Amino acid sequence: MRYYIGAEARLRRTIEDTAMSVFESWSYEEVITPSVDYYDLFEQGMGHKEAQRGFRFTDNDGRLLALRPDVTSSVARMAATLLAERPRPLRFCYAAPVFRQQPQSHAEWRRENTQLGCELIGVNGKSADLEVLRLANEILSRLDLQTTYCITINNVEIFNGVAAHLELTTPARERLRRLIDTRETAELQRFLDSCSNSEGRAFSQPTQLTGSSEVIRAARNVITNSRSIAALDSLEELWTEIESLGLADRFEIDLSDVSSLDYYTGLSLRVFVDGAGTSVGRGGRYDGLTGNFGRAEPAVGFVLNLDALTEVLVRRNANV
Amino acid sequence: MITIAIAKGRMQDDALALLARAGVRLSEDARNSRRLAIADESGDYRFIFVKPADVPVYVEHGIADCGVVGRDVLLESQADLLLPLDLGIARCRIVVAGPDAEIMTRSLGMLRVATKYSQIANTHFGARGIPVEIIQLSGSVELAPALGLADLIVDLVETGRTLRENGLTVVEEIGESTGRLVVNRASYQLKSEPITQLVQALETVLNGDARA
Repeated sequence: MRYYIGAEARLRRTIEDTAMSVFESWSYEEVITPSVDYYDLFEQGMGHKEAQRGFRFTDNDGRLLALRPDVTSSVARMAATLLAERPRPLRFCYAAPVFRQQPQSHAEWRRENTQLGCELIGVNGKSADLEVLRLANEILSRLDLQTTYCITINNVEIFNGVAAHLELTTPARERLRRLIDTRETAELQRFLDSCSNSEGRAFSQPTQLTGSSEVIRAARNVITNSRSIAALDSLEELWTEIESLGLADRFEIDLSDVSSLDYYTGLSLRVFVDGAGTSVGRGGRYDGLTGNFGRAEPAVGFVLNLDALTEVLVRRNANV
Repeated sequence: MITIAIAKGRMQDDALALLARAGVRLSEDARNSRRLAIADESGDYRFIFVKPADVPVYVEHGIADCGVVGRDVLLESQADLLLPLDLGIARCRIVVAGPDAEIMTRSLGMLRVATKYSQIANTHFGARGIPVEIIQLSGSVELAPALGLADLIVDLVETGRTLRENGLTVVEEIGESTGRLVVNRASYQLKSEPITQLVQALETVLNGDARA
């Protein structure tokens, strides 16, 4: 629960305006979704585990409602129903507060956070992925952060391919995911040593790396299953584009970003800014999402946390 | 500059010795000083000395880039951190202890458990469906059963001497705890080069020990 007064409120408004004007310049239309909606919507949109973090309550007839824990669910349903007939692609952006209880991390948790976000719906492939990555980068570069920032990218199908190849049970797959996510090198190696095939045993090495194309090369040396290789191919194509745009110093490949495997279906990205202890933004491709609302189509997007970005700039201004 | 949070007390000397062997040295003066934040000889690292339970807090918020702290503290704090290395220092066990081994089967209604580690105790008994009432203490937990405050305790054991002298025996072992290197998620990306170097230097030292 935080108040923004005077200069801080102006600063926060400036950040919001910057983001929204970048979105607008890329032809993203603003959308305002309901703050309160049926809980069911968010459960379908985010999955049970994440939606549960929302504040839930009932109306007089006993129907379960929620304060929106995200905006993407509402936009996805809108695209699949209200705008089913509109020609694709759809480009939407928003600046809206979302509400969650239970921290994922003590450092980033607030009950209320304002998301600056965008969704690109109805186009697949490299150019759509690249569009949202460039958008995220443009907003960050225009924010006058005067510190370093970094956007990490990964493709969740690399992990999914390896996990499927190893034929892991659900709990074993979750354990593998957790060990990679927290970079527990020794435990991960011990876990993989028990696997019967050589691809599994070698998989720990590339997940330790973070960097540029050498990460992909390292992964290629050990990964043999076709699903992961296809994902590596598309990640490499994306990286080549990023390099040719001269943006390679703003991006990093991080194969250990496996935090939201159930949600993303391809590209996943996270945003880190010097001065914030946790990521200040995340996103990726979720081709499975709109299908939950009756019209399956590709979609990609990201959100930045306005409050976390404001905090970084407020503290930076206090130090000069 | 990389800021390293070190848990004061039990682990401090072992942690500093290990870091020194990995090339991050504190001068003699600095080690004897009572300042809580000091730079190393090269000036590339800054050490801060805080209570063990505060190490995950400093690192999770990114005030410290990395830290050295026991696994017991990490399990208790539930902090969202990277855990790249097990340093193998300050090894001890997390155990359930009581006046005798049969206590768990004798009182089936509700066990009272005194501990500094309420999270760990809750998870341990909760996973096995044993109803317990957790009594949170901040030290001298071994006293609780003798004085009738609790039936059992959950605590760290190094040699087991304190337990024996207070008339307690180990009923169950929950797990092992050693000193871990923890790293902030954002620092790992934004300062990847120096942090990877530190991790690798420590790894080399640890691997050398394992072979010797």
